[in-house]
Amino acid sequence: MRLSQKTALVTGAARGLGRACALRFAEEGADLVLLDVAADIADVPYPLGTPDQLEATARLCRERGASVLAARADVRQQKDVDAVVADALDRFGRIDVLVNNAGIAAPSGKAVHEITEDEWGVMLDVDLSGAWRTIKAVVPSMAKQRSGSIVNISSTAGLVGYRYFAGYVAAKHGLIGLTRAAALDYAALQIRVNALCPGQVREEPTLEGRMLSEVARSLGVAPEDQETAFLESQPMNALVNPEDVSSAALWLASDDARQVTGSVVTVDGGFSTR
Amino acid sequence: MSTRISPPPTAGPGSAAAFFAGTTFDARPARACHGLVRRMPEGLTADRIAERLAAAQESGALPADLRLWVEDVATAAADPASEALRVREASRATRHDGRLRAVLLSYADGVVDLVLVAHRRAADSAGLDLVGRILAGAADDTERLTLPGDLPRHTAADAAPPAWGMGDPRRTGVTGAVRIGPVAIAPQSAAPVLLAATALLLARYADRDRTVGLLAVDRADRDRFAAVDLPVDDGTPLVDLVRHAENALASAAPVSADRPVPAVGIVVLSEQDEGYRPFLELPFPVTFTWDPRRDGTHVGRLDYDEAALHPEAAEQLARHVGRLTALVGAKPDDAFGDRTPVSGDVELMTDEERAALLDLGRPQPAPLRPATTVHAAFARRAAERPGATALSDATRELTYAQLDEAATRMSAALAERGAGPGTFVGVCMDRDTDLVVTLLAVLKTGAAYVPMDPRYPVERLRYTTEDAGLRLVVTTLDEFPAADGVTAVHPGALTGSTAATPAPADDPDAPAYVIYTSGSTGKPKGVVVPHRNVGALMAATTEDMRLGPDDVWTLFHSSSFDFSVWEIWGCLLTGGHLVVVPYWVSRSPEEFHALLVQRRVTVLSQTPSAFASLRDVHLNQQQSLALRLVVFGGEPLDVRSLELWFRREPHDRCRLVNMFGITETTVHVTTSTVTPVEVAAGSRSVGTALPGWTLSVRDARGRVQPLGVPGEIYVGGAGVADRYLNRPELTAERFVDDRLTGERAYRSGDLGRLRPGGRLDHLGRIDDQVKVRGFRIELGEIRSVLLDDPTVSAGAVVLNQGDGDAAGVRLDAYVVLRPSGSVAEVRRRLREVLPEHMVPATLTAVPGIPLTVNGKVDRAKLPEPDQLPAAEAATGAAPAAEEGAPAQEGLADVVLRAWRATLGPEVGPDDDFFDLGGNSLLAVRLSAALRREGLQSVPLRDLYLQPTAARLAEHLTARQAAEAGTGRP
Ligand SMILES: NC(=O)c1ccc[n+]([C@@H]2O[C@H](COP(=O)([O-])OP(=O)(O)OC[C@H]3O[C@@H](n4cnc5c(N)ncnc54)[C@H](O)[C@@H]3O)[C@@H](O)[C@H]2O)c1
Repeated sequence: MRLSQKTALVTGAARGLGRACALRFAEEGADLVLLDVAADIADVPYPLGTPDQLEATARLCRERGASVLAARADVRQQKDVDAVVADALDRFGRIDVLVNNAGIAAPSGKAVHEITEDEWGVMLDVDLSGAWRTIKAVVPSMAKQRSGSIVNISSTAGLVGYRYFAGYVAAKHGLIGLTRAAALDYAALQIRVNALCPGQVREEPTLEGRMLSEVARSLGVAPEDQETAFLESQPMNALVNPEDVSSAALWLASDDARQVTGSVVTVDGGFSTR
Repeated sequence: MSTRISPPPTAGPGSAAAFFAGTTFDARPARACHGLVRRMPEGLTADRIAERLAAAQESGALPADLRLWVEDVATAAADPASEALRVREASRATRHDGRLRAVLLSYADGVVDLVLVAHRRAADSAGLDLVGRILAGAADDTERLTLPGDLPRHTAADAAPPAWGMGDPRRTGVTGAVRIGPVAIAPQSAAPVLLAATALLLARYADRDRTVGLLAVDRADRDRFAAVDLPVDDGTPLVDLVRHAENALASAAPVSADRPVPAVGIVVLSEQDEGYRPFLELPFPVTFTWDPRRDGTHVGRLDYDEAALHPEAAEQLARHVGRLTALVGAKPDDAFGDRTPVSGDVELMTDEERAALLDLGRPQPAPLRPATTVHAAFARRAAERPGATALSDATRELTYAQLDEAATRMSAALAERGAGPGTFVGVCMDRDTDLVVTLLAVLKTGAAYVPMDPRYPVERLRYTTEDAGLRLVVTTLDEFPAADGVTAVHPGALTGSTAATPAPADDPDAPAYVIYTSGSTGKPKGVVVPHRNVGALMAATTEDMRLGPDDVWTLFHSSSFDFSVWEIWGCLLTGGHLVVVPYWVSRSPEEFHALLVQRRVTVLSQTPSAFASLRDVHLNQQQSLALRLVVFGGEPLDVRSLELWFRREPHDRCRLVNMFGITETTVHVTTSTVTPVEVAAGSRSVGTALPGWTLSVRDARGRVQPLGVPGEIYVGGAGVADRYLNRPELTAERFVDDRLTGERAYRSGDLGRLRPGGRLDHLGRIDDQVKVRGFRIELGEIRSVLLDDPTVSAGAVVLNQGDGDAAGVRLDAYVVLRPSGSVAEVRRRLREVLPEHMVPATLTAVPGIPLTVNGKVDRAKLPEPDQLPAAEAATGAAPAAEEGAPAQEGLADVVLRAWRATLGPEVGPDDDFFDLGGNSLLAVRLSAALRREGLQSVPLRDLYLQPTAARLAEHLTARQAAEAGTGRP
């Protein structure tokens, strides 16, 4: 068990990659703090996670032997995030791992000059500033412990451009910048900060993820066509599976990666190297 | 462990470090926490319990900020997964600001457990109990949870780990556990009995720190970690022990932040405390937890940090504590009949345990080889390869056949003069080929040789001659000290005999040699070593060290030092080539190094201090050595000195073997191959016994000591010498019939400890163990700390008895400082490392540590110690250098300045080097000082021949004149 005696906080944990990471961590002995907005957000043109989905993730983690604290909070609100972190410290005494996974893929599908102030704002607020707020909330306790691992879920969109996805691309690029700067700020306190860049992830029904279909919808194509189109640009000719991403997150979270900080790990079947 | 390459951010404005400057690192929040697991009454649901909490908060019985966390568990209460969850929950520390946490584990089968964890500042054990009762509905309405009073902090640093634990600092934080018992103890006296047993154990383990940590839950004040000092020594009557413990408990001092947490502690639970966990993390690096059971017994558990205890030491400790607890807990007369037993009477071990320890010191069976004499074994080598080179010096080379023939011829001449079986023949010769021929010749007559160093004072030579009752001495000295009835004969006079060679005597039990050793007390005594021991030594080493005809050895050591026995016969009995190193060469590391290169020596035997000089020379040169084996002996090896050597000479090309040995056990006892791994670990181990040799570690009564516990090293087996010549009492005292093994053993007077796997740590001489103000102190330990100081190049610590009254007894330390060192700094560092009672009362800088002929500190030659603290400002820098050079400085002044820099400011031009405590190391240093003064390199030989500054200056002036005359640069 690579995370025994550790507590991990995962944002955006109601479904998708957040759920995949939470379950994987529970299997490795961690206790979990699950954070999700579990509500829809104005300007985001697709349904986000729900309270039931959040509860389902909690149940699945418990079945894997974890103790769980599930809490609703929007990463756009510092005081909501702070409150969850305070509860988590009351409940578990410490937070060893933070996975900044909460994210949105749309509003997208427009060229740069067409994006509205609100569309731009919400994208950066969730995908970039959200991670900054949770880091602010957990770092003081990690500093006391002189240990901690923060994994920021960026994207291949943090490394290369995608047409009609400027807000997302900008936010995910920004998240890599935040990762590198935070790694330096906290290295002396033994807190590691790394970015993980998944390529296009296959949607797995049990995880109820929505990212792929939303990207497809933003571009006005059917999800199957989007998947095929992506496959053609994948050097390994396969989409990334959720467990490929959670395995990488597990490694970065665990002591196996004790010398890894400020790094950008891509799990994209080679996509971004072309 | 990571290595930091760039410095961490400083606490400047804006840096992360400044931001968190207020957040102190708290590595062990769990140490201050305790917990309680309580099963809730059947049918009581989580919702009902939450209602109870609300009501209790309403009434003020419980604080308003207490939260109840409910955890739905996917499995039934009895499921192992639930058990794991329960343990995890109950061992989870609260957050750093230390609160009370209440968690309900609501299992799939409807059972509910309440898990409470609190920092001791938030709730004491009674408080935890009350919260449990309130939520279970078992408290009465008037009870209120109150905040505990001012509780001590439990975050102080740990005391140093016990030496007998043999823990590995790299395993810090890795814990292990061993069960103990059950043991019968009357419940009302559990705490004093357990304390008494633990204190007794520490006393028997000779631990320096006898403080026992205590968390006794059956005491009124059950939240206070205490540190209890219970004095126990070997004479303490057992009957008094428990009473003393009761008194000590009454006056126990709480552990506070300014006092380290004791390394060893006990936690005594009481019967009402089911489900109570007095700590979530080991409160002491070595923690005994005792749980009462309904049948009146206690079961114990030893939890330990592997940095403090080796797992085998932990197993052993658990066994011993179990035994001692049973013994102390029982009525004294049950165990000892009508004697009044004292602590020292207690047997720690069972017969099996003792047998296992004795087996550890007897690693391999002795190889079966027929016993033989040294000269018969030599004759076989000579017959095998008569034409091979056996022996050489600068001027002469002998084949095996020639050596054999020369020795045979001389043996006839010796026999003519009375040498033969049962006699002893003195040999007092400088090292050259003749010396080796003579030693072999003596053996061939059936006599034993008694080597004497021609450089010894006349008095010493006379003493040895008389003590050994010698009639015949072969010597190159013109005037061997005359004594009645002693014939001194020059080896040259022994070549031309025409007499028939005597029939070779071939009794392996006959003495081969007698070597004189001087203990720290008394006069030198002759150790009689029979032939068969030398054969056993070769049988034990030849195969392991692959000794053979391709090897080239040196004869470096004086024949009066038994290292030479190993050099001469180790080489000649395995067919090697023995290169004799003349005295002057052996004193000069440069010349000796050149000899090693030129003669392509493969097997080298050295004392560690001689090797250190050789190493320095080697590291400054390009020439490569043919060495494949270096054997260290004669004094303790500090492996750290080998780090640089290994960078140049990998250990798989040249093997380094450290051997601990004693003349009385035939040169060597143990063997340990030293590699960079040992160097990195700073190992003090001298390894395991040689095949055929046995060793064990005993207490003052001859009982086997537990693993890790220091005691006297006993050596048995194939190397034990016959006796001390003409010293029946001393022989009886040191060469004993060991009742435990049934074999003859030699009591070495050396202090050691056995490690798991049978490896021995050598800890110095027992005489080095002194008592100051009741503390037993190892002088060697203090000396080793002195030497750890980078500014100290040599040091000695001696016991000063003062004017006889016990309060006047003190330790005096002497150091040789490097130019950068100061007494005050050395003293400051000593204070940092050593407990107060071990810090020497005085610390005096000296130019060199005077040694006796046998290489031991010559106490008589040490100066009066500097008085403190005035001397603290003194430094080792040469004061002469500060005086400023006189305008017209002659060679004599320059030489004198170098002498003073090396030997001390008071040195006058006519003071004799050797009277000043000069030795070979100081000679090397003096030679360097002269070079620094711009003089040409001065051969060491010149220093020996011109032993005063004035004479040396004259000699150098003459040399300069001569060189000027011949036009040389
Ligand atoms: N799925 C992919 O192909 C893919 C590829 C690369 C990167 N990513 C990244 O992985 C992360 C997870 O993606 P997913 O596919 O699981 O998406 P998803 O939409 O299935 O899940 C995202 C979760 O985040 C939550 N969330 C959204 N905004 C939030 C907010 N403001 N506060 C709190 N929670 C919020 C949602 O409720 C939802 O449960 C995202 O950061 C995404 O950018 C996904």
